[in-house]
Parts: sequence; structure tokens; C-alpha cells
Amino acid sequence: MHRLRGLAPGVALGLLLIDLVGMLVLSVITPAFLSSYNLFVTGRDLSILLLVALAQMVVLSLGQMNLSIGSIGGLVAIIEAGLMVRYGVPVPLALAAGLVLGVVCGVINGLLVYWTKINSFVLTLGTSYVFAGINLGITHATPFYHVPNEVSSFGQARVGPFPLMAGVTIVLTLLLAGFLYQVVLGRQLLAVGGNPLAARLSGLPIRRATLTAHAISGFLAAVAGTMLMAQLGQGQPTIGATWILPSFAGPIIGGAALAGGSAPVLGTVLAMVLISLIDDGLVLVSADPFWVQFLIGALILGAVVLGRTRLNDIRAFLRISTTRVAGTTR
Amino acid sequence: MTGGALLRQVALLALFIVTAGFWIYFSVAASGFTSDFNLFSLLRFAAIQITIGFAQMVALSIGDLNLAVGAIGGATGMIAGWAMQILGLPPDVAVLFALAAGMLLGFGNALLITWTRINSFIVTLATASLITGAMLIVTHSDPFSRLPDSFTSFSETEVSGLPVSNLVLVMLAVGVALFFLYRNLSLGREMLAVGANRRAARMSGLSVDRVVLLTHGLSGALAATAGLMAIAADHTASPSLGSDWLLASFVAPAIGGTLLSGGLVSVPGTIVGGILLATISNGLLLVGIDNFWITVFLGVVLLLAVVLDRVTRAAGGAAP
Repeated sequence: MHRLRGLAPGVALGLLLIDLVGMLVLSVITPAFLSSYNLFVTGRDLSILLLVALAQMVVLSLGQMNLSIGSIGGLVAIIEAGLMVRYGVPVPLALAAGLVLGVVCGVINGLLVYWTKINSFVLTLGTSYVFAGINLGITHATPFYHVPNEVSSFGQARVGPFPLMAGVTIVLTLLLAGFLYQVVLGRQLLAVGGNPLAARLSGLPIRRATLTAHAISGFLAAVAGTMLMAQLGQGQPTIGATWILPSFAGPIIGGAALAGGSAPVLGTVLAMVLISLIDDGLVLVSADPFWVQFLIGALILGAVVLGRTRLNDIRAFLRISTTRVAGTTR
Repeated sequence: MTGGALLRQVALLALFIVTAGFWIYFSVAASGFTSDFNLFSLLRFAAIQITIGFAQMVALSIGDLNLAVGAIGGATGMIAGWAMQILGLPPDVAVLFALAAGMLLGFGNALLITWTRINSFIVTLATASLITGAMLIVTHSDPFSRLPDSFTSFSETEVSGLPVSNLVLVMLAVGVALFFLYRNLSLGREMLAVGANRRAARMSGLSVDRVVLLTHGLSGALAATAGLMAIAADHTASPSLGSDWLLASFVAPAIGGTLLSGGLVSVPGTIVGGILLATISNGLLLVGIDNFWITVFLGVVLLLAVVLDRVTRAAGGAAP
């Protein structure tokens, strides 16, 4: 049961149908949708934003949030680019340093939340400004241009319509799903999120679960920032500045509960596919780009309202039908 | 006076002393800090920041969040700009129009919260993006920069020769009204009761939904007030207005001792907190510290404020 709740199969099935219909509609109304280049560009955006959404989902599964995902992604991207461009640090070393930095930022969030027991919303709001401010203090809002060729060519690399970046995202998504559903610590993380009091009374390692979730969140944010830097070919200080909305939209539309205890990896993936389809569809029909923001907001509200009413409807329906059945048999 | 209340008085006094300390330090260290021009713009900036903080403080008082404070402030600022520049309405009519729009948007938030029983965080995250998205679609992201002089001069006028903008008086009037609301009116007490323990409030017969509705309406109207103050000070209604209000909306109440979990507000604390925020931003800039590092500083201030609050409450016993 717990496992089913974690996977949220009903939501995933609904989203899958909507995604398929969306793809069908887009390929009928705009033939450009199926062009190899369009699929590549859309897939690349999806690869990055899916990691952003998963970075939020893993913290939400604990019943907490991370408002600093975008700031971590941006800080990591400019530190990596700065090391490579300004100081000539070899690419693998610079990227490794960036990913470690992302984990460290996540651990700082986790330690603050664990030590102070203060609402993670306000703590990560504070750290998000600290990370973003360090980014701007270093760069003065000017990008580090011309990252090494190996990095920027990775951002453009593709096999047919398939962006190479998507490989990284797929591997990380599968690893995360395996960790949350199969590994003991991952299951404990969901248990802590589902009922912190029960988890504490039964001696679950709450500190380790909190630090792990925030470290994973920081790591995924760092990978997303690195990939966007590779795609842009420069360390843009604005990387991550717009990630807060998609980071929540993915898990919430995908069926996660703010209270914790659920980690709908599949739902989050399908929700992000839907958001990419909307994004791409609006570009293809050359609509006002501001519609994206409006529609994501509407989608979040629609998804939660639908989720809420559907559950109530089912409950009401069951109650009525059972009494009817009871009445007829007597 | 209970231990908790005494501790809060001491905390407010400490905040006041810290702010005064910064004023003394910057008066000595930063040339131009005490010039009339600088004090005028510092206090005007503080007035806007404090009003943004009030909009969040009101939502926090019932234990809710309003992530749409910036979106409502930005959208209503644009509405006022449109009403004055395009429709040619007189400023006072446009102001009423914008305040009504802010209150309606707040009511919208409240209806979604009470109707769906969904967390205010998700609802206002979604409506913030709806409101800003709709505003950008309608305005095509074009600013209204030809606002009537009779409107913009209001923010430039000094109060009886002192380096104090009229906007500071607006903020103080709002502050007094809020103080009165929470201290003397039954609605204010009901808001705090809902914030302290929603379940207990409901079980003792309070109409929680009505309190939520009025609170978010008030929060929306206060966000609109801040938006109007900002466009008056900027002489332009810009579509990016409100996009950077999120931190500010939490910092001033949090430093001032408003509980993020609800049930306890401090109007004087929010005012002193907002002045401290404005003083630090202004003074550090004058001392020659890069504008970008000030963001780090404000983030640290927010973290320190909430951690200190935690520590003092732990020392003072249970939360009041």
C-alpha cells in the first residue's frame, strides 16, 4: 500500500494519457513538432527541468522543501565555468568540484533544518539568497564566456533526435527511483516523511534521512546547472533564476503531497513531459511566451483541485453504493 | 506580564538598539548617510519594504503564507498605471481601483484555499504565476511610464520640511490601523486564534473560513498598497515590479518577531525590522560594498532572525 501511494499510479496513468494526446495533437497541428531538431531541443530542456523537479521531489518526500534549488544550480554553474575559463582548471576537476559544491550546499540546508527544527521554507529561502548573492558577488552579473569545447559540445551532442544529456537524466532518474523504492535508507526517508513522530519513536535515523534528502537535492540541482551551462556554452549568472515554479509544478502535478511520505518519480517525469509539451507547443504556434507561466500556474491548481475532488468523489460514491447494496440485500 | 511577553519586549528593544547602532556606525563611516537626500530615499524605501512585510505578516498571522504578495503588488501597480495613463482616470480613483483589485485577488486566494482545503503555499504559488502571467500577456510587458505628476509628486513631497516622504506617513497610518486591528478588534483576535490553533478555533465556534477570506483580502489590499507606493516612488509602473519582493516580505516580519507558524504578530517589530533592512542595504552601498553582496547579507539576516527567534522562544518556554 505504501509503495502504491509512493508511486501514485492513478495520477501517472492520467498524465500518461494527457501526454500522449498532447503529442498527437502537436504532431497533427504542427508538423515541425516531429522534426529531429525540435525533438532534440525539447528533450534537452526536459532533461534539465526534470532534474530540477526531482531535486524538489526528494525533499518533498520528506515533508520539507528546498527553495534554493535554482540558486544552487546557478552557483555551481558559474563556479565550474569560472574555474575552467578564468583559472584553466581541467574540465573533469572543475565539474567534480561543482558537483561537490552542490552536495555541500544541500548538506548545509539539511543541517540547518535538522539542527534548528525551523520550517524548511524560510531556511532555504534564506540560503537561496545567500547562494544567489555569492553568485552575483563573484560574477557581478557578467557571464564567464567560452567554456571549453568539450563542455559546450556535450551540450549540443545528439544521436538523431536524442540529446546526449538525456542519457545523464535517465540514469539519474532510475538511480533515484531505485534508491527511494528499493534501498533501506530510501524507504526510511519515505517513512520519516509519512509520519515523523512514528519514525522517531521507532528509532529511524531522522538525521541521516534529512541530510541525505537535502544532499541528493543539492546534487541534482548541481547536475542541472552544469547541463544548462554546457547547453549555453557559458557560465550565466542567471542560471536557475526561474526554476522555482517548475521545481514545484513537476512533483505536485505528479501527485506528491507537501506533507511528505510520497515520492512519485513516474508522475513527476510525466508531469514534466506535459510541461515541456506545453512549452514547445506555444513556441511552435508562436504564441506569447508569457502564456507558459500562466498555464503552469493553471495546471498546478487544476491538478491539485482535480486530485482533491476525485478522491472525495470516489469516497462519496463508495459510501453511497455500499449502503445501497446493503439496503437491497436486506 | 508573562515571561514570553517580557522576552518579546526585550527582543524588540534589542532590535531597536541594533538598528540604532547601525545608524550611528553609518553616520560616522559612510559619508552622505545623514544627508537629507539620503535619509529621504532610505526612509521611503523602508516604507515600501515595511508595507510589503505587512502584506505577508497578515497572512502569517493566521498561519498561512502568501507567495503572491509580489504578483499582486506588481499586477495592481500595472492596473493603476493603466488606469491613469491609458484611461486618464484621476489618481485617487485609480488608487481605489487598484486597492479593490488587490483585495479581490486576495479573496480569490482565500476562496481557493477554503474551497479546496489545499495548503496556502501551493495555492499562492500557483496564483502568483497565474496573476503575473496574465499581467504580462495583457500588457505585453510594456511599462506605463507617463504617470500624472499629481500622483508621482505625492512620493516626492517632504513632510513639513523634514526629510520624510509622504509614503512614510502612509506606511505609519497602515501600521497604526493594523496595530489597532490586532490589539482591539475582535477580527484581529480571531485571526490570531486561527493562526495559533486552527482546529481549536474551529471547534470553539469561530468561522475559520470567514477569517481566512478577510485575511487574504487584507493581505491582497496591502500588497496593492505597496505596489502603488512603489510606482509612485519609481515614477513608472514596470512589469518587473514585485518580482523581487519574496525575501523582503519575510525578512521584516521575521526580524520583528512575527511567528512564521502563526498566532503572533508584531507591528512595531515589522516596522523596526524594515528600517533595519533598508538601513543595511543603503549603508553598505554607501560604504562601498558591492550591491550584489548585500543580497548575501540579507539572506544571512533572515537566517539569523529565525534562528534567534527559535532560541529565545526555547528559553522563554512554550510558544505563546
